[in-house]
Amino acid sequence: MLEPNFKQYKSYFEILDQLFEVERKLENIEETNSISRNLNKMKDIFETNLFSSSTSSDIGFTYHNPIGESYNETRLDVEASIAGNSTENLVIKEVIKPIIRYKSGGSTLIARKGVVVVESKN
Amino acid sequence: MENTINIGIDLGTTNSAIAKFVKGDVIVFNNPLDYGRSTLPSVVYYKKDRIVVGNKAKEYLERDPKNVVGLFKRKMGTSESFQIKSINESKTPVDLSAQVLKELKTFVNTGDTLESIVITIPASFDSIQSNATKEAGKQAGFKQVVLLQEPIAASLAYANMKKSKELTDGNWLVYDLGGGTFDVALVRIKDGEMKVVDHEGDNFLGGSDFDRLIVEKLIIPKICEQYTFENLENQMKSATGKYNAKYYSLINQAEEAKIRLSAVSSAEIIVERMKDEEGNEVDMEITITKSEFNDLIKDSIDGTIEMIKTILTRNSLTSNDVQFNLMVGGSTFIPFVRQRVEEVLQIPANCEIDPTTAVAIGAAYYAATKPKEISKDKSEKKQYSISIKASYNKASKETDELFAARIKGNTEGLFYKIVRQDGGFDSGLKELTERINEDLPLVENAYNFFTLTVYDGQNNVIETGIEPIGINSGFGISGQPLPEDICLEVDDYDNPGQTRLALIFERNSVLPTKRTLTFPINKPILKGNESDRLWINVYEGPQTSLPEANKLIGVIEISGKQVSRDIAKGSDLEIAIMISESRDVTVSGYLNMSDQEFKNVFNPKVRDTNITLLKGQVTDLSSKLDEEIELATEKEDYETAGALSKVKKEMEAVADEAEKLTDDDVTDKRYQLEDKKRKIAQKIDSATKNKRLQKATDYYYETKAACEELIENSGNDHERKTFNDIVSQESAFMATKSPLKIQEKSDELHSIIGQIRWRTPDFLKGIFGSLLNDQAKMNDQSQAKSLIDAGNFAIESQNWDRLREINFGLLDLLPRGSKEDITTKIGFGL
Repeated sequence: MLEPNFKQYKSYFEILDQLFEVERKLENIEETNSISRNLNKMKDIFETNLFSSSTSSDIGFTYHNPIGESYNETRLDVEASIAGNSTENLVIKEVIKPIIRYKSGGSTLIARKGVVVVESKN
Repeated sequence: MENTINIGIDLGTTNSAIAKFVKGDVIVFNNPLDYGRSTLPSVVYYKKDRIVVGNKAKEYLERDPKNVVGLFKRKMGTSESFQIKSINESKTPVDLSAQVLKELKTFVNTGDTLESIVITIPASFDSIQSNATKEAGKQAGFKQVVLLQEPIAASLAYANMKKSKELTDGNWLVYDLGGGTFDVALVRIKDGEMKVVDHEGDNFLGGSDFDRLIVEKLIIPKICEQYTFENLENQMKSATGKYNAKYYSLINQAEEAKIRLSAVSSAEIIVERMKDEEGNEVDMEITITKSEFNDLIKDSIDGTIEMIKTILTRNSLTSNDVQFNLMVGGSTFIPFVRQRVEEVLQIPANCEIDPTTAVAIGAAYYAATKPKEISKDKSEKKQYSISIKASYNKASKETDELFAARIKGNTEGLFYKIVRQDGGFDSGLKELTERINEDLPLVENAYNFFTLTVYDGQNNVIETGIEPIGINSGFGISGQPLPEDICLEVDDYDNPGQTRLALIFERNSVLPTKRTLTFPINKPILKGNESDRLWINVYEGPQTSLPEANKLIGVIEISGKQVSRDIAKGSDLEIAIMISESRDVTVSGYLNMSDQEFKNVFNPKVRDTNITLLKGQVTDLSSKLDEEIELATEKEDYETAGALSKVKKEMEAVADEAEKLTDDDVTDKRYQLEDKKRKIAQKIDSATKNKRLQKATDYYYETKAACEELIENSGNDHERKTFNDIVSQESAFMATKSPLKIQEKSDELHSIIGQIRWRTPDFLKGIFGSLLNDQAKMNDQSQAKSLIDAGNFAIESQNWDRLREINFGLLDLLPRGSKEDITTKIGFGL
């Protein structure tokens, strides 16, 4: 499989990171202006509109928040810092940057790894 | 087979890399599991059943020190070994280095057989340490190992970049400040021969120390100024501390800020999601300026300068005797490092090579000059015959799926590794046994492909012929496919006054599914005005047929009576359509301007027929029918005309009945009429399809010929590729017999034609000429005049790019066409 070079998309990833931050902050606020609608729209643009063309449709980027998911050394979609003493039963405790995936048709690629802090749940 | 070694490895204390010389240039191989990066952290993690090398091992380095080893290069050539708890064995620095070298082999994607290699070593290595490095190379399966000193490698990278392999005789320094170690070497070149004369170093100084300083000396004090904490630094740095997780998050941000500070004068670090001792939510933005950061690292950098001074004194040299100071290692990206060293020593800092890969690149250049010396003893090669029988679920809704396999053949001394092709999972190197099991984590709603590779003890790939492991996650398991296309009716801007269907979900899409589309509306909706309406009509049936011929499965009508304010033309209508597994259709329309949502759920068993809409469609259909009959008669196509005339009678009956229906009719009449109408529309559709198809096909071939000619004369590679892509699909889209599909392809070809034409001088001149004729109509006469002057000059100087810009500028000055008065039915379109 040809690995697309994602370097050129760096600024887009930075925007996605910001959207992720906004989404995270929104979870704690009750607001009546349906900001989440605008947010979802922006996410949708990244996922379906921005990079699709007439010859290649359905490509785009999505982000995923892995908070609470389990972690071990086989997991390459995030870069982890391990907090605490134990390395058993690690879970993702804090997400500094979400995982950004490149979607093309039914298959996906990790376009940018997430950055997380993990800690043992014991 | 190449006769020179060509491949070089930078086996670093903290990071390693591998590069290859190819036809005069060097490529640095990317880390296949960490793309975007070409380096591999020199860290090895032993688990009971697997060995993990690189980034993942590095993450565990501090937390699981009994099983993870890093910085072992410092111990090369000593009798010291590392006791590994999980496997109850001890590993020597040579063993560990061999693991890193083996992992680097997997970076090489050019299919080379790796038997000969150049490996770099620090200038400080003595012969025992050098021999240990050679030993590690042998252990990793290389038959010929050539060593090269790192400062020389960096110098070679520089010399080759300059394309003058002969540098002038003299001295220079190689200043190597990496992630965790610092080395400086004095290199002398005499009669074309390079030699390391002297060196100094600090094994515990590098970029990661700077990150730590930022957190400890800048961030923590600033947090404590504003919030109440008892010994925050300890609480962060201790593994049992309350804020240990936060510490790593700050270290991460500090590293990022450090990188940013190389380019800008200040960087922000946001501290949030933690509470102080009094329960106050911490939320602050800490600004770190370049000068604060520079002050922070000044002492460390001055320490490196002292080492250089020591070298100079020892060799009775002054700064003037040194040509330049070659900067290597990631931390030399920091401008202050370059400036400070240059300023104090008065030796120019040379930053012309990529500091992270210079050593590997230099090693590869050196490798290109070293002949291979391997006895080609073919019989030595072992013939492995391994066959793998795999079993796993090809579809799964779990987050991971068990993969099991039986191995036939001699598995002794062999290893395997399973990697997910999106780069998100690596099992690590595991021993191959007769039966293997592995839990494979799946990405939701995607096809997951894994590859299983078998390696021998030296990480050479053993051919097994096993197919990629494909597991489909999420959809496609219980979800049923859509039996028909689902489309949205939109105004057809190509045929003013008509509507067409826009595909939303293709037939056989798997349910549930969801899609959101946004359209600017093409007419204003005035508050309170009932006749201003938008229609969201969702149809089931082929995308290619007329809207009236398909089954209406959901409709939302938005009139002026419902809106809370006037909605301007051009404002956005966001339409979301969702179909559940049980085929309930949820349609919602959202008006951006009034922040109003109109939503309805349509159940497939209860048909919803809107009488106003039905009447409108019947009227439209009647006039369309009349037109078609007239057209067919004109063309003397009596067969079609005959068929249509028959339909005409049915049509009249339906129209009569529809007229009698009241808006609140409660009988089944509306459904019967709807059915009849649909059948009539289908008949019209099929009777006239040939005509439309012929027209579209003719147009396509015309466009194709024109496009081909243009591309041959003045197309570029990209355009040629797009053209070929379209043409290669020709048989497929022609076979659909869909005028719309074919039209779409013609449009794509047309856009290529447009692109090329806008580059060709003749076309640009032509456009410019016709714009000249329209000058009187333009909005801003003085601007038009200056653009025209500039255009004439551009033609004279044959500056076609400029002429193109001018043409665009002039076009903008033309008043908009008077197409505004076209009536639209739906309220938005394509």
